[in-house]
Order: sequence, then structure tokens, then C-alpha cells
Amino acid sequence: MSANLLLGLSPILIVSLGALLLMMAEALSKLRNEARESPSSSLAMGSAVVLASGGVASLALWLQGPDNLMEARAALAPWLLIDRFSLFFFVILTLGAFLTVLLAGGYLPEHKLDRGEFYPLVLLSTAGAMALAAAGDLLTMFIGLEVMSLGVYAMVAFRRGSPRSVEAAMKYFLLGSFAAALLLYGGALLYGATGKTDFSSISFQLAHTGYANPTNLQQLAWENSTPLMVIGLILVVIGLAFKISAVPFHMWTPDAYEGAPTPATTFMAGAVKAGAFAMMIRVLMMAFGDVRSASWGSGWPPVLAALAVATMTVGNLIAGRQESVKRMLAYSSITHAGYMLVGVVAMAGTARAEANGAVLFYTLIYTISTVGAFGALILCGSRGAEAVSYEDLAGLGKRNPAVALALSLFIFSLAGIPPTAGFFAKLYLFKAAVSGDYIVLTVIALINTVIGAYYYLRVLVFMYFREPLPGAPIAKPMKSGHVAIALVFAALLVLALGILPSKTLQAALSSTISG
Amino acid sequence: MISIPLEHYLVVAAVIFAIGACGFLARRNALVALMSIELMLNAVNVTLVAFNRWHGDNHTGQMFAFFIIAVAAAEAAVGLAIVLALFRLKKSVRTDTADLLKN
Repeated sequence: MSANLLLGLSPILIVSLGALLLMMAEALSKLRNEARESPSSSLAMGSAVVLASGGVASLALWLQGPDNLMEARAALAPWLLIDRFSLFFFVILTLGAFLTVLLAGGYLPEHKLDRGEFYPLVLLSTAGAMALAAAGDLLTMFIGLEVMSLGVYAMVAFRRGSPRSVEAAMKYFLLGSFAAALLLYGGALLYGATGKTDFSSISFQLAHTGYANPTNLQQLAWENSTPLMVIGLILVVIGLAFKISAVPFHMWTPDAYEGAPTPATTFMAGAVKAGAFAMMIRVLMMAFGDVRSASWGSGWPPVLAALAVATMTVGNLIAGRQESVKRMLAYSSITHAGYMLVGVVAMAGTARAEANGAVLFYTLIYTISTVGAFGALILCGSRGAEAVSYEDLAGLGKRNPAVALALSLFIFSLAGIPPTAGFFAKLYLFKAAVSGDYIVLTVIALINTVIGAYYYLRVLVFMYFREPLPGAPIAKPMKSGHVAIALVFAALLVLALGILPSKTLQAALSSTISG
Repeated sequence: MISIPLEHYLVVAAVIFAIGACGFLARRNALVALMSIELMLNAVNVTLVAFNRWHGDNHTGQMFAFFIIAVAAAEAAVGLAIVLALFRLKKSVRTDTADLLKN
């Protein structure tokens, strides 16, 4: 155990140890003080501090450059890979979780869900997502995935007296475990075909068609193992598609997002999705990044392109028909997964580095914007009068201009309208896809962006140009310092990255995978 | 001693996996769905251990199986808690009684 090793692991260590400490603090403070006030206010701040330190540690390591951590990297490889790619995702994940705990600090007391275990769950899930983003082996990937998912299942079921919340957790849990089982079976077959579980060795075996060190038995077996590999790859891709909620494996997403308490939804749409994308990029680019598997003619790119087209289009068309804003945002997150998939497909092409940077930048912006949008939705409602449908938002621009302005900003960013960051995220993503010669995909994505503007702008129409129907229940905005801080912070980021995106884009471009 | 060839293990595991997958997709009882997922995970374990005997130079497959067993237990704990919460609210563990969330 050297200092260098601890330093390399520090982002994950800070978050997980912080979670354990907060859990202890929460348990002990109950014994000491029975009539204490809401546990949320102190726990939310504590978790926010822990996550912020984790984020700062990741950022510092990123700036210092992982090349200074050779000792740690050698000790951790191939289980966890501390490269710029991981560190960039660490920043995204801790940022998403940081905003989530602040939102929870306002939401949970307001809705009488004020139980302290929510915060350690968020922190431990984040630690799992970080391990997932850094995983360089099927084993650590699986463990990271499960640590992340198990926490989120519990967070979705957090309102345990509500049939909707429990139903959402049920659906999410069953389909999530099913997907994990498919992923694992695919992983087991890959192990059978290659004899390895770490991504770089799998890739090496695939590229050198198994004759690197042949014994007769293995050589003979290798010739029979191609079907094994193909089935393994298919199962792994299906498992990944479930996790990023790509159509047609998206059925659980709207239900789970709608039924869950809004901070849990925020976490799922932000950090969980970012973690799942990190996993997908790592698996596809490291384990299946060899010439044959990553070529359009004989590998995964056409499958992923078909998934991307289906995800963008179906997500968009169904989002337009929703009456609930929360559910619309769920479908919008499916659509955004489709755009990101376009970027992942482009990574297999000639413009790999550019596409890599564009996807990372997009993930960052998407996470901030979607967390902000859900956060603004939290602020729009209060106990017994939660903002759910478009009707609830009618006239909000007059009743509470500040909240309406915040929601509009994040909606603009999700729709990709300048001067918000969402515009540049889409611009760079589509530019990368064009320079990789994926013109058709880009055109489809552009058309979808235009269609998407319809349902995003509908939110604004309701807020600013509609009056609430007489007698209809209207959402009353709540008051919470925590939520306000989170929204101001997210709004500043969205505007800052929308006006000055180049530094961050440069950072994303240099955050490549290094095996 | 006549050793059993690898294919036998793999076929058994594939059949168990398929039974689990069919059970998961066809049955509406949440407990049966949980058991089906366990079946699928155990099929993965059999596959891993069988392959490990074939790739005899390391123990990765067996190690992997241990981790899967541990994680499956954790998953079952969370899953049963959710099923219990559903039962308290609905007095039933059938997944088709949970139908509040729809398009």
C-alpha cells in the first residue's frame, strides 16, 4: 500500500469512506438526540461536501495527469484503470451526485420522506458508478454495476408507502437484474472463447485470433469458438443496451423514472446513465476495439447504429405524446441516449478521438442539464401539490418567475438551443459524426433534434402563455435553500459552458482511454 | 475415470439459462421471477467453472463464480425487500397487480 496507490484511488475512496462515515453519524445521532430536527439538512450538506471533495480530487488528478501515477496504475491494472477517461467520468459522476444530494436535501423533508439512509445510498451508488467507469475487467465491471444498481433500486423504492414507487422499483429491479444476467452470461462465453476476463487481453486474443501461444488443443478449440464470441458479444450488447435504456430495451425507463421520488429519478437520469455509458464505451472500444469487431462490415457498429436510430426516433415520438412532464423528461433521457449512441458509433470510425471527446462533452452537459431540469421540477411543486403534468405548470411564469426561468434554461439546454451548453454539445457531437462519414446517422439525429423542440417548447408555452384552468389543482412552488443552491450552480455551469465551451471540450478531447 | 467433456457442462448451463429466461419472461409471480434470475446466474456460474477447467492456467473463472454468488445474495436481499413492500401494499406478489404506471 503506497501513498501513490492511495492517491490514485482517492476519488473512489473519498466517496465510499464518506458514505460509511455519514451512515455511522446518522445512526449515532439518533441515539443521542431523539427530538432532533430533520436529518436531511445536515446529511445533505455532509454528502455534498464528500462528493465535492471526490470531484475535486478527480479534477486534481486529471490536471496533474495520470502519468504521474504509474505505480498506482500498475498495481490497479487491469481491475481498475485510472486514466484521463476514468477521471473525466469521475468528475461527471460526482457532479451529478452532488447536485442530486442537494436536491434531495430540499425534496425529502418537504415530502415527509425524511429518512437519512437516502444519502449513503447515493454516495455508495456513486462509488459503484465510479468503479464501473474505471473498470478494465469483466469482474470489476460487474461488481461496479451491481453496487451502483442495488443502491438505485433501494432509492427508487424509497417512498415505500406509495404503490407507484414500489411498482417502479419492482420493474426496474426485475429488468435490471435480467439485464445483468444476460451481460454476465455473455461475459462467461467471452471468457470461454478467450480465456481472459480483462478487456485488453480479450482484445489481444481477438486481434491475434488466438494463435499467440497455441497448444494443439487450444488451436483446435479456437476454430470452434467464433460462434461463442459472437453470441457473447450479442449478449453483452443487449445487457448494455438495457442499462443505457436504448430502444427496444427501454420499457422499464419511463415507469421507473415516473414512479421514483424525483431525486432518485435525477440520479438515474444523470449519474447512472453516465456510468452506464462509460461502461459501454470501455467494453466496446477496449475489448471489441480490434479491426474486425469495430468495422462496419463485420462488427458491432451497424447494430449500434440501428439501436441509435430506434432510440432517438421512438424516444422522441413517444415523448411528444406525454401529458406528464416527468415522464416526458424520462423519454427525453432515452432520446439523449440515442444521440450519445451516434457518438459511440462514430468512435468506431476514422474520427475516433474527436468522437470520444464529443461523447464525453455531451455526457457532461446532458448530466448537468437533465439534473437541472428535474431539480427545477422539484422546486415547482410542494407537498400534496407536486408538479407532474403540463397543466400543473400553467401560468408558472407569472406565479413564480424565478423557478420558471430556471426550468426554461435547462429545457433550452436539453433541446440544444444557444446560448446554452446543450447547443455546443450537440454541435460537436454531430460534427464528430460527420467527420467520421456517418452522414445518414447525423441527418436522422438532426431531424430528431427538430422534432424534440416541439415537446420541450411545449413546457415553455404552458409556463408563459397558459393560464391554469379554473378550479384545477395547481402546483405550489416550494422553498428550499438546498434546491436553490443546486439550481443556481447547475444554471451557472450550463451558461458558462454554453458561452465558453472550448476549454472543457479540449479536456474532453484529451480524456482518451489508455489501456 | 472417464472425464465428462466440456460440451456437456455448457449445454446443461445453456439449458438452465434458457429455463430461467423463459420463466422470467412468462411468469407473473415476482418470487418466481426472482428465482428465475437466480437460475440464470447459476447457469453463468456453471459455465464459468466449466470453462475454467478448460483454461487451466488460472483460476479466473472460479473466482468470478464466487463473486457472482456473493452479489446474487445481495441482489436477492434487495429484491425480496421490494417484493415485501409490494405485498404489503397489494396483498399479492403478482407483478400484473402493479399496473399504475402506464403510457
